[in-house]
Amino acid sequence: MSSYKAVNWNTPENDYAGMFWEQNLRQFWVDTEYIPSKDIDSWKSLSPEIQEAYKKALGGLTLLDTLQSHTGMPKLLDHIDGLQNKAVLSFMCMMEAIHAKSYSTIFTTVNSTAEINELFEWVENNKLLQFKASTIDKYYRNLDANKVSDETLFMGLAASVLLESFLFYSGFFMPLWLAGQGQMVASADIIKKIVADESIHGVFVGLLAQDLYKKLPNPEKSKKELIDLLMELYENELKYTDELYTEVGLTADVKEYVRYNANKAMMNLGFEELFEVKAVNSIVLNGLNGETTQHDFFSKKSTNYEKSMEVVHLRDEDFHVEAEPVF
Amino acid sequence: MVTKKWILLNNEIMVKKDDEFSLSKDKEAVRSYFLDYVNKNTVFFYTLKEKIDYLIEQEYYIDFYQWYTFEQMEEVYDLVFAKKFRFQSFMSAFKFFQSYALRDDSGEKFLERYEDRVVAVALFLARGDVPQAKQYAELLINQEYQPATPTFLNSGKKRSGELVSCFLDEIGDNLNGIGYAIDSAMKLSSIGGGVSFNISKVRARGESIKDVEGRAGGVLPIMKILEDTFSYANQLGQRPGAGAVYLNIFHTDIEEFLDCKKINVDEKVRIKSLSIGVIVPDKFMELAENDEACYLFYPHTVYKQYGKYLDELDMNEMYEELVTNPLVKKKKINARHLMVKIAQTQKESGYPYLFFKGNANRGHALKELGNVKFSNLCTEIMQISEVSDIEIYGKEDTIRYGISCNLGSLNIATVMENKRIKEAVATAMRSLTVVSDLTNIAMVPSVQKANKELHSVGLGAMNLHGFLTKNFIMYESAAALDFCNVFFMMVNFYSIQSSMEIAKEKNETFVGFEQSEYANGNYFQPYLTKDIAPVSDKIAGLFEGMAIPTVADWTELMNQVKTHGLYHAYRLAIAPNQSTSYIMNATASVMPVVDVIEVREYGDSTTYYPMPYLDNDNYFFYKSAYDMDQKNVLRLISVIQKHVDQGISTILHTNTKDSTRDIAKYYIYAHKMGLKSLYYTRTRKASIDECVSCSV
Repeated sequence: MSSYKAVNWNTPENDYAGMFWEQNLRQFWVDTEYIPSKDIDSWKSLSPEIQEAYKKALGGLTLLDTLQSHTGMPKLLDHIDGLQNKAVLSFMCMMEAIHAKSYSTIFTTVNSTAEINELFEWVENNKLLQFKASTIDKYYRNLDANKVSDETLFMGLAASVLLESFLFYSGFFMPLWLAGQGQMVASADIIKKIVADESIHGVFVGLLAQDLYKKLPNPEKSKKELIDLLMELYENELKYTDELYTEVGLTADVKEYVRYNANKAMMNLGFEELFEVKAVNSIVLNGLNGETTQHDFFSKKSTNYEKSMEVVHLRDEDFHVEAEPVF
Repeated sequence: MVTKKWILLNNEIMVKKDDEFSLSKDKEAVRSYFLDYVNKNTVFFYTLKEKIDYLIEQEYYIDFYQWYTFEQMEEVYDLVFAKKFRFQSFMSAFKFFQSYALRDDSGEKFLERYEDRVVAVALFLARGDVPQAKQYAELLINQEYQPATPTFLNSGKKRSGELVSCFLDEIGDNLNGIGYAIDSAMKLSSIGGGVSFNISKVRARGESIKDVEGRAGGVLPIMKILEDTFSYANQLGQRPGAGAVYLNIFHTDIEEFLDCKKINVDEKVRIKSLSIGVIVPDKFMELAENDEACYLFYPHTVYKQYGKYLDELDMNEMYEELVTNPLVKKKKINARHLMVKIAQTQKESGYPYLFFKGNANRGHALKELGNVKFSNLCTEIMQISEVSDIEIYGKEDTIRYGISCNLGSLNIATVMENKRIKEAVATAMRSLTVVSDLTNIAMVPSVQKANKELHSVGLGAMNLHGFLTKNFIMYESAAALDFCNVFFMMVNFYSIQSSMEIAKEKNETFVGFEQSEYANGNYFQPYLTKDIAPVSDKIAGLFEGMAIPTVADWTELMNQVKTHGLYHAYRLAIAPNQSTSYIMNATASVMPVVDVIEVREYGDSTTYYPMPYLDNDNYFFYKSAYDMDQKNVLRLISVIQKHVDQGISTILHTNTKDSTRDIAKYYIYAHKMGLKSLYYTRTRKASIDECVSCSV
């Protein structure tokens, strides 16, 4: 009988688990901190086509976050080595659940119950969206067994990175594009928090995958499998983009953006870029920038503040500062 | 909805070519904004006469013909249009048209350009005095002075809000007092005011009501009601209402008060949009420094013992007495831990503001009339206040001072370049005086009384970092200190001179002038021993062509003030001015910039704003506030503060890695340097790229 181990944070397991734990904690947030009700007027001013695209984009995102929190993260953490890595994944898992819920917070604020129910029905019946979910889920389900091969686990991790770093972004485009032009700004605060989380999730799982990839006896085979999977998802993503964005005339921009993020996913996994990307819509690209922005406290809530991690107390010498008047 | 070309162009500034931002895109964005949007959406008039008549007949403007002939108005328009004003950045143009330009009733078409707004403000404030109107118009079109938003936005409009937007009041410790506060909050908020309350007099959670212990709900429930009140009474749906509450640090609800801003706290006690501030008396800083036991007091038990509110006691004198008196209920805490808790709350939310009560009262010119007890939504207003006694229906209320203040800012760069400090300050003071005289907030009598008797205004300044950069001076340098010392001394001098002249003309001073430090001459003492003049040649060069007041000038001014009095009880206050600084293509207030190109998230847009005058030569001088030692910033503010009778909105810029101790040390330094308040603490996030690259 094997013995059970307790997670020991006093000995680092690798260079990055501790750091990602801290960063995750620092970024922690809950949806109810934000005030999407400020967007009600903005919502009413949008054309029905844009409203439709916005709802569907967020509906699609809800599905992906649900998949990630209910299946993806738990399956991965079951097989990944290292108790600290598992801890980080479990934290991410919880955040995915908060993400999935936070879209509902936005819906609840701007939509009627009937509209919301109709939207969730659409999610269940949309073939392209279901294809995304089932394709990724297949790789997660391969992890059902007690013991799995490194190849299977690698593909599970890779699928997760594709979902986090690639598939999300056709959905993120809409809220970021609107917010850059002054619409649905309060809801975009939530979306930006999600984007910031997904980006560290993608990097972390990508690093786990890269560690594993180095150990594979036949890495080229796995790489090919990954690229095939990505291309399959890419084809589907183009169709999904057509369906969501044609009526609002943004299809070309979104597709460029999809390719841009496909490249990012590949880079997170340690591979070279696949697509040539010319010019991504600057509004959306800038909206992704997680750096600190200036804001007016009276008119919106900031996304800049984070949980304070280190509480360090004052000492006597802190009070003995030289504070002579200058003139 | 298609992508708007001008917004796209503005976003493209951030595209780097050969390691440089595409700054030229900003000019293209301005052009596109005018050609593709503004011009297409502006109502066209064949003649000036047609325009003026239309605006008056359609009830957009007030009837200017009551004061001016058409020819007189035409003179002012001609003067302004001859200046050929152009917006220097997309942000300036966008902000003006988005928020300030008059639109038709459908909201779709513009009826004004920048020049039209300037003339309307000038005509309105001059009230028929043509030379005065020209002075105002010149000051404004030169961008030497910018009135605060309410004045700039509403002047001259027939259907408009108030000209003043900053109000403060005390909350009394009974239902009538609380009801009056909520009622005032709603009314002031609906007319566009930012309102701040001192909630320190309200009894703490668990205190007695009608001598039954354990019944009082404390300050949090009132804050909850105020928060909802402000969000309900917004400004015709255009702007969300905004409010702040201040609590004395010795009030036993202080910990609960701070917790309301924590990220993960129960919905019932979480405050999302109401701003909070802490009143910190010197005694508290002393207890923290000596690491002595610190007691918080239950305010109602203090009131019952001494017949005075905790918040009004001089804690230096009374602290020991309160600690010793067994009938005053208290709670023991560790003062240093409380400071760290404040730092922690700031790291998570940017709040609370800090108001250093001792520093605010030390040089207070009206000290014989009362104390400064708290501050406003932007922590720059510091005036006397006293709680009113609100009675039941049929009984006469006793109304005492609330606070009302109207603000405006000098543009340091243009004022210096045009060598017009004296003229700009005098004209600006006049325009602020007109606004104060026109204001009559009858629905909130305590605020009305203060405005009527004290005529307080708050002249500030913007574009300090822009001006320094343009002249290749580092913000943190000794030269910057030298400049600020002389510049703000001059602003102080000319504002007193102007206030004295207005008092002389009107033959009226503010109520209580005789008891003020102005009347007995104490206020002038720091200026009477030694001339204040530039120390370095570089700074002396900047002031060339302007007379700098000497000890003799100050002495003469003191004597003139003794004879004629002052019209304004309070004159100067440096506001954070955000939107107005964009229109002026200036850096905000006297704060350092955060980045060479600011990403600006407003409630209604995300815009990229290259700092004024930015080019490859001066890039280096726009060092980010986040990269500065905050002590250098605080030191500069301490120099300015000596010449400002009210306060200065001072923002701390910190980084994720700064510990709570680092931040608390800034409080200690700020307090020792004599700063009266600290506004928000902003935090620059560490991005994951940075983390990965340095540790993986």
